[in-house]
Amino acid sequence: MFYLNSFENQKRMSTQDLLLRIAEQVAQGETQFTIAAQGQHDLGGPLWNKDGTKLQFWISNPGQRVGAMALSNTEIVVQGSAPADVGWLNAGGEITVLGDCGDTAGHSAAEGKIYIAGRAGTRSGSLMKKDPTADDPELWIYKSTGSFSFEFMLGGKAVICGMDVDQRQSVLGDRPCIGMVGGTVYVRGKIPELTPEVCVKALNADDESFLRQGLPQFLAKINQISALDELSKFSLWQKIVPNQSYTPVTRRSLQDFRLESWISGGIFQDVFPDKFASNGLVARGIYRLRVPIWRNNLGAAPKEKDKRVNSCRDCRICAVNCPEAAISREVQNEQVVYTSNAELCIGCGICVGVCPEGIWVLEDNFELKSMDG
Amino acid sequence: METVTTQDITVNDLDFIIHYNPDICIMCGSCVAQCSFNAIEVAPQVRKHEPTQEGAKQGHKKKILFVIRQKTDLAHACVGCGMCVKVCPNQALSIEANPESRKNLLARTQGVIKRGGRASSYSLRTLDKIMVGRISQMTDPALDSERHTFDLRAPLGRILKAQDLPLKVDGQSLSLEKNCPPVRWIYPLLFSDMSIGAISTRAWEAIALACAYLNEECHLPVRMCSGEGGMPLKLLKSEQLKYMLLQIGSGHFGWNRIIKSLPLMRTDPAGIIIKIGQGAKPGDGGLLPKKKVAPHIQAIRGVPETALHSPPTHQGLYSIEESVQKMHLSLNAAFGFRVPVVIKCAASLTSVAVYNNLLRDPYHISGGFFLDGLQGGTGAACEISLEHTGHPIVSKLRDCYLTSVAQGLQGQIPLWVGGGVGLTGQAAADCFKLICLGANGVFVGKILLQLLGCVGDEHGRCNQCNTGKCPTGICTQDPRLIKRLDIDRGAEAIVNYVLTFDSELKKLLAPIGNSSLPVGRSDALITSDYAVAQKLGIAYAC
Ligand code: SF4
Ligand code: SF4
Ligand code: SF4
Ligand code: SF4
Repeated sequence: MFYLNSFENQKRMSTQDLLLRIAEQVAQGETQFTIAAQGQHDLGGPLWNKDGTKLQFWISNPGQRVGAMALSNTEIVVQGSAPADVGWLNAGGEITVLGDCGDTAGHSAAEGKIYIAGRAGTRSGSLMKKDPTADDPELWIYKSTGSFSFEFMLGGKAVICGMDVDQRQSVLGDRPCIGMVGGTVYVRGKIPELTPEVCVKALNADDESFLRQGLPQFLAKINQISALDELSKFSLWQKIVPNQSYTPVTRRSLQDFRLESWISGGIFQDVFPDKFASNGLVARGIYRLRVPIWRNNLGAAPKEKDKRVNSCRDCRICAVNCPEAAISREVQNEQVVYTSNAELCIGCGICVGVCPEGIWVLEDNFELKSMDG
Repeated sequence: METVTTQDITVNDLDFIIHYNPDICIMCGSCVAQCSFNAIEVAPQVRKHEPTQEGAKQGHKKKILFVIRQKTDLAHACVGCGMCVKVCPNQALSIEANPESRKNLLARTQGVIKRGGRASSYSLRTLDKIMVGRISQMTDPALDSERHTFDLRAPLGRILKAQDLPLKVDGQSLSLEKNCPPVRWIYPLLFSDMSIGAISTRAWEAIALACAYLNEECHLPVRMCSGEGGMPLKLLKSEQLKYMLLQIGSGHFGWNRIIKSLPLMRTDPAGIIIKIGQGAKPGDGGLLPKKKVAPHIQAIRGVPETALHSPPTHQGLYSIEESVQKMHLSLNAAFGFRVPVVIKCAASLTSVAVYNNLLRDPYHISGGFFLDGLQGGTGAACEISLEHTGHPIVSKLRDCYLTSVAQGLQGQIPLWVGGGVGLTGQAAADCFKLICLGANGVFVGKILLQLLGCVGDEHGRCNQCNTGKCPTGICTQDPRLIKRLDIDRGAEAIVNYVLTFDSELKKLLAPIGNSSLPVGRSDALITSDYAVAQKLGIAYAC
């Protein structure tokens, strides 16, 4: 057993000196450490014994990131509370904190187990991972977590026992599990409003057996074995998992919304009824901007073959050039009459442009007073 | 050959020149048929004829071709709307803006030029010189814009200091001792006032529809302002009235119908907005040409068929104090002091004085100050006002905000700003920067029309909103043109834009670590323009 008090002769050891001293001892084969720390960071990892013997740490008053990057075969017990980032990037260590934890406990842990006897702070369990070649990381918390817990969680198992928490309060703080895409959070106690990306489910047999196996071990580690009966009432537990059937909300089409939920018939129905059909830029019939008029300047329609100046020459150039074949030529009482069919005509004025006599003119279409007639 | 004199107006005197390729034109007539400005026609063109050997005949050296030709008189000058280009199946047409145009000068020989759209002479935008320079990386915790939740709500209504709230302890709970000024927490992007009449019934309804959709399908509490042309009766009597701010302008149009609907209303409107001035044309009153005063507009506005002018200012108001007391009071009273009443002015050198007066409002009846900058759009204005009056919004907003800060009154009378927001297409950036400078929210109008299909811009394209000939069916009451506007597609474009706006706003909020609107967080902004840095009190960076 290597015992180290990092505060001697009124002088605190720096984190660097302390970590180097521990590493030196580990290299010499020491496997058991009792460290009275003074807020030094990163105690407990990543360290390994060259023969594969387990490393054990008893730490008091650690700084941030106790057990950070801890490897398997590392066992850490913190006497009392620990500040932020307990077990950050835990790679297999077993970390027990016999008090509360600061923010982001278990952040990005990918293996190993973290046992917390009290509360864990904001963003605890965020980005917990799952390595497909290893066992799931576990994060056991006796009381509750702060807000934004299990954000962006990718895998692993978290257990929040909800002990000693005011029943009215969420045991997961506000806005937990945002962006959670993997893993399971077991909760006992009040759950706040959740994002639709995750869902709450009852425990199944596998879940119960996981808890049944894990709880006694956890409670023994944190000296709360008397709570086992209470915590074994599995009907009081729920789990939060990614919502597999979550699809981002599909919206109705605008048209469906208009027809189903908008003011029926449109808001101008009383003064300007509109059925909301729309036209292309080029329109026919009443919707033409301009209409061609065929008029014989001399007031008399021409006789066939009787070509006079300022009168239709019956040259047919308009009818030939009309892109819509809208112009018809008829002989009525030996006189020729040209007409444009409103249903075909688009009002382009080509007939007007090509007519050598200026018999066709283009006029503004009559003003439509309503949308549909 | 016809004589051409130097004073004749020809194509090269006009703003837009149409290039036409007769070789690929198939004479389908589409371009001419659809031009609502009647700016092109079909005409014969005389060409030199190279006769083949056999067909050669003495004296037959010319031939006639029919072509599409641009008209050259000012009344039929092409406005560059580009609809002909859109519709041509062979891309035989293109339009070019003519830098040597003399139209600006020549048109003034025929009287005062009126038009719609935006000013083109003031193209500088302070907002574009400002960047979001404070990006939390090591300092403050940044957020994830896609996965974190944000609370994007802006107040509309008078905010009281906590100690001034009329609360009393009532056993275990709190109760109100007397009426508390109403406040609505709404989305910081407001669809601003474009009147029924200035825009078509369909365009107006498309915007209202998009607004309702955003509320009901997307859960964004977007609100829309009616504009000063009254309200459709069916909307006044519907639940959707809660999305609307009713506007009263100096012409007081449509208020008879609104007042008579009071007993029929099922819910309160979101707010009332007293329009004093418009940023695009301060001092120039509203103007609705007779062409656009169709029978349904007469009915909605309660007017005869005539050109409608709103006076440049409210005639019953002679001072700032009076406008606060009289106008705010009457409109608060009409809705039982349950609906926030706000006032909208064109930004001006005197805006701070107006805002100070509102801040002192002892009756708590002023629910917001809306400031409209000179790059806003309009349906119709005299070009001289459009181009030469107004005040940029950025420094004016800053002045107003800082004056409230100096008195410890910031946040009590919400500041909403607009006028050119989204001019570059990126309304979220404009909104974010304006909020950092002290705005609570922004309002937009012109970009909504552009989303519906309007092609007008600040470089002089189209902007014929006053003529009744709007080629996109937006600024007209002519059913033939309105019919061109697909209401669902138009509303969809607005909805999708707002959803993108929402995502983009979060993209800017996340890195500065704000999950709510960063009102007054000017520490997030930098500029490489020293004068701008000095004026706005933001960091200078280079
Ligand atoms: S206006 Fe055009 S479509 Fe109509 S008849 Fe004349 S050539 Fe044909
Ligand atoms: S650009 Fe517009 S105004 Fe000009 S000819 Fe084409 S359709 Fe007509
Ligand atoms: S639309 Fe194109 S192809 Fe048709 S007439 Fe016009 S230029 Fe020719
Ligand atoms: S398209 Fe219509 S609304 Fe847009 S500028 Fe032209 S006339 Fe105005």
